[in-house]
Amino acid sequence: MVRRSLDDDPVPREPDVDDNGVDRAQIRAMLALAPEERLRRVEEFVEAALEIRELNAARPVR
Amino acid sequence: MQRARFADILRLLASNEVEFIVVGMTAGILHGAPVTTIDLDVVHRRSRDNVARLLRVLAALDAVYRHDPRKLRPQESHLMGSGHQLLTTTHGDLDCLGAIGEGLGYEELIERTVAMSLPGGLVVRVLSLPALIETKERAGRPKDLAALPLLRATLDELTRRP
Repeated sequence: MVRRSLDDDPVPREPDVDDNGVDRAQIRAMLALAPEERLRRVEEFVEAALEIRELNAARPVR
Repeated sequence: MQRARFADILRLLASNEVEFIVVGMTAGILHGAPVTTIDLDVVHRRSRDNVARLLRVLAALDAVYRHDPRKLRPQESHLMGSGHQLLTTTHGDLDCLGAIGEGLGYEELIERTVAMSLPGGLVVRVLSLPALIETKERAGRPKDLAALPLLRATLDELTRRP
């Protein structure tokens, strides 16, 4: 069996991050969503974070 | 639309014994900073065994480069380097970072982390808030500098707590 060289891996494009450090691809993905979907996406992230915070907090987070 | 279930990503990584550190604004949120983000940033240990475990999880999450229309999948050669692999997965966006700041990788950062429990009993390592502030200060980009007032104020409030 011929072992494939790691150099054969396709090279991904450079991240689309601007000079300010902002990921432009992520902004375009958010813009492709409806406003309600954008809110839901952020809410889901925050809800999951709060669950972990509650588990690790000495006092309730919310 | 994919659901942003970053806690599930953390659970998958931890249950598959991937060695990683949660960094970036998700770390800030977990420490209590009132900020938002929609991606999960992790610095993974760049050993062959660990990258193999990480690749298995990424395959299960159907991870591809989010900025590349060819939908390329991350490979070992990508994850063994110090670069940033910006991915999108079935559970939301996930950035696998070989190193952050001035070449700080898993080994350099692990001493500056805290353990946090996940629902279900798994534990993950999260970059400490002072270390997160330092990485943002050193990065010095407008995006990083903009986050500093909230991160510093959160640290200040934490130190005032009885």
